[in-house]
Amino acid sequence: MIAPMRKRPLSFYFLAVFFGLFVLFLYGPMFAIFILSLQGPDGALTFPVRSFGFHWIASLFFQQQRIGDFGAAFQRSLLLGFIVMAVTVVVALMAGLAFRQKFKGSSFIFYLTISSLIVPSVLISLGIGIAFNLIGVQTNWYSSALGGHLTWTLPFAFLIMLGVFNRFNLSYEEAARDLGASEFQAFQHIILPLIAPALIGVALFGFTLSYDEFTRTSLISGARNTLPLEIFGMTTNVTSPALYALGTVTTVFSFSIIAIAFLAYGFFAKRQQP
Amino acid sequence: MAQFTRRQLLRTGLAAGALVTATQCTRNQAPVGTPNNPATGPTVNTNQIKDVTLRFIGTGVSQINEIKQKAEEDLGFKLEMRALSTEENNQIAITQPGQYDVFDGEYFSLPLVVPSGNLQAIDVSRITDFDKIVPIFTTGELTSGAKVNTSQGTKPSKVMFLTDQNSTEFATEPTGWATLIPFQYNADTLGYRPDLVGRQIESWGELFNEEFRGKTSILDIPSIGIMDAAMVAEALGLMTFQDKGNMTRAELDQITAILMEQKRAGQFRAFWKTFDESVNLMASGEVVLQSMWSPGVTAVKSQGIQCVYAPLREGYRGWGGGIGFSKSLSGIELDAAYEYINWMLDGWVGAFLGRQGYYSAIPENAKKYMSQAEWDFWYEGKAASEDMIDPFGKKLESKDAVRDGGSFEQRMSDVVVWNSVMDEQPYLVQKWNEFVAA
Amino acid sequence: MLKGWKSIEPYLLVTPQTLVFLLFLVFPIATIFVVSFWEFTGYSMTPAFTLDNYITIFRSPVSLATYLNTFKFVGLVWFFTLIIAFPVSYFLAFHITSLRWQIILFLICTIPFWTSNIIRMISWIPFLGREGLLNKLLITLQITQQPLDIFLFSNFAVVLAMVHLYTLFMIVPIFNSMMRIDRDLIAAARDAGASGFQVLKEVIVPLTIPGIAIGSIFIVTLVMGEFVTVRLMSGGQAASVGSLIRNQIGSLQYPLAAANAVVLLVITLAIIMGILRLVDIRKEL
Repeated sequence: MIAPMRKRPLSFYFLAVFFGLFVLFLYGPMFAIFILSLQGPDGALTFPVRSFGFHWIASLFFQQQRIGDFGAAFQRSLLLGFIVMAVTVVVALMAGLAFRQKFKGSSFIFYLTISSLIVPSVLISLGIGIAFNLIGVQTNWYSSALGGHLTWTLPFAFLIMLGVFNRFNLSYEEAARDLGASEFQAFQHIILPLIAPALIGVALFGFTLSYDEFTRTSLISGARNTLPLEIFGMTTNVTSPALYALGTVTTVFSFSIIAIAFLAYGFFAKRQQP
Repeated sequence: MAQFTRRQLLRTGLAAGALVTATQCTRNQAPVGTPNNPATGPTVNTNQIKDVTLRFIGTGVSQINEIKQKAEEDLGFKLEMRALSTEENNQIAITQPGQYDVFDGEYFSLPLVVPSGNLQAIDVSRITDFDKIVPIFTTGELTSGAKVNTSQGTKPSKVMFLTDQNSTEFATEPTGWATLIPFQYNADTLGYRPDLVGRQIESWGELFNEEFRGKTSILDIPSIGIMDAAMVAEALGLMTFQDKGNMTRAELDQITAILMEQKRAGQFRAFWKTFDESVNLMASGEVVLQSMWSPGVTAVKSQGIQCVYAPLREGYRGWGGGIGFSKSLSGIELDAAYEYINWMLDGWVGAFLGRQGYYSAIPENAKKYMSQAEWDFWYEGKAASEDMIDPFGKKLESKDAVRDGGSFEQRMSDVVVWNSVMDEQPYLVQKWNEFVAA
Repeated sequence: MLKGWKSIEPYLLVTPQTLVFLLFLVFPIATIFVVSFWEFTGYSMTPAFTLDNYITIFRSPVSLATYLNTFKFVGLVWFFTLIIAFPVSYFLAFHITSLRWQIILFLICTIPFWTSNIIRMISWIPFLGREGLLNKLLITLQITQQPLDIFLFSNFAVVLAMVHLYTLFMIVPIFNSMMRIDRDLIAAARDAGASGFQVLKEVIVPLTIPGIAIGSIFIVTLVMGEFVTVRLMSGGQAASVGSLIRNQIGSLQYPLAAANAVVLLVITLAIIMGILRLVDIRKEL
């Protein structure tokens, strides 16, 4: 089972160092704000750190900020993320099922979906903004911004579904049908369990893409801000380390979501083993 | 299907009917209301007014949670505040009238906002203390012979009144219909770090001084930035203007050419759009001299960093901000909005914003909510008899400090230009964008 | 009956997705196209048919400079993300043989992607500023006497932040392509006497081209329309097409912004068509 120990080539060490530097590059600046968010009340936005403390993190939860309402924005983003996630999973799954067979117009829909990925985001928000304005409908985070987010999450989800169904072994489904299962039964008992991991992936992807989307939300979120818009507002309106504290807290939150998702995944995967 | 639609229709109809009756009731119950006795109004409809939520849009300098809280406490209804950049604020005021009830904006935006028809005229007779508002806004004069009386640009008094309730034309004389009711204004100038500059700054011209190459910044809002640039160019004798507040195309070409030359030479470290950006630039030492707003200066000082809001020999650039009503505001919401204005002018807001250096539309009202020491420091230009505290409780100035530029009268009298919207506004914006992109 | 159902089933299934794209992609872009021919009156737009907006764009020397600057960002970001992503993916795909470690290391690369982009961007500011960590370090090491200004509020800062934000979009498709290379093929090449470098050049790189192409499409799309990074990291001083459009929106010049958006779209699509000639995406799924 164990691969025979062979001498690692020199390139391994070079690349390992390169990889290490890359990880440092990815995480380095985040450590800077992590440190800066752990300051006492006299802390500032730049180095040097004046004193250590949890003042700014605590202030996010227990103290009113000078402007804005980051709690409400956070809840809004969370809710929007879940709506986008649910819609993305269902819609992309349906489209994936449709694409298991050739049908007239399928390439049109394929390219329509792909084009949504390659249209620069600023066009989406500008376009939706002007379109809503012209037909006299108010923009809102749960209508126009939801639409904007779907133009971003659906193509990814759709591509993942295509990939899954491309490699999907049709014989299971056929066997089920031969045994007299209805179309729906075949879907429920055969297809769904087999693609469940991919669906979890799509869901997680949909949620995080939406949760973090700025460009396709700005201009079209209506009267209330989502979290990324609120954070952007804070970068231009807040002069204290509360900004970094918000960064630290939202990062920790994202990590917890991923951790929970993976633990759940591992738990279910284990249960499936006899 | 058809039945469902009909039922829905019926329901909507009923609701609408009920709404109409409700509003009418309020109307009938509301006092016929002499402006001197508006207090009776709210007590009658306290119950309905409690459910009102007024949605504000404005900039970070006044969409402050402390004000929201105090107003909700005193007035009984809810406020939703939204802090935007100056640009977004005007943009929403003009293009998305359904998204706000109250517009907290600047006077210079009015030549763009008012023609859009999204604001409704404010009935001056419903504003209790209207006659106490400083004359800069109404007649346009302060004291006789003051420079401000003949200042250039979009002076608030030029856009303060409408000819009629349903007009979108500005009146040249005071009328009974106002566009915005003022609550904050100031004389803006350059701010600098005395520790890093090492000498006194006395002229706008210093912004282009090679000594500060790569350490200056300018506001990236066309209507404001262009006025600062004009002050600098005039101070250095680089060019002259017929009217700085209403430049010709040729003048705009020339001034942006000067700006681009400075940019290419690396004079600017960065551009800023909201006052907090200016704070971060200044506090971190990236910039040592820049055009600034007063709360920016106080925010830098409250971090324990020295910052001077320099009185300059050429005079100040003034601005004024006020509250306007969305066209869609009516019935009980409109009553609530009038109540808010009367509360806003009563002095608490004036005193609160005064601690970040802004002046109140009715200084005598703000005085009621300030300590004698604060009043002397902020309005009289006297040495502080105790430590000065900013609106958020941080120490700003030590005892014996004196406000840069002196008293209210000294500073406001010396305003020579205002933030401006010009006849050639689209061209100005185009040239400004070219400068930013250059 | 069943036959009839079978033939309309796929159409019913793709209806929701198609509706989403018609409503929120096709319709808005059609609106932009229409509005780009309208007139602007100082504070509002009025229906018209005028080419003035396009003429303004093509006449102005600034728009040319802005487009060139944007291409420069695209080119630099593409170059750096590629030279980072290729070795990183190679390391993960070929040097890490245990699946478990592959997953762990891959996750380490993706985790920052789950944090707010804006937070990741501004986290560079205390690092690069005049009083920032990098300058402190350089002064301590006596590499420089004076703090250097070029790290922050410069094109350097913009490119750095974008590479930081977008490298993952290059890593994932390249890694994906590399994982699908048949290991027997490499072994066969080795057996035939190919050196490590020859294997890389003759086998791995050609088979990774589709992944590189897909990654490049992402980078081009993301960077062409960028405005937040450009604004925050250049201190408002650099220009990109995205920020030009945003400025025009900010001053309510919707028709001009729309015309610029149309030009931007046409150019982006042209570049992507070019890339697509190298690869058939449908095969790559």
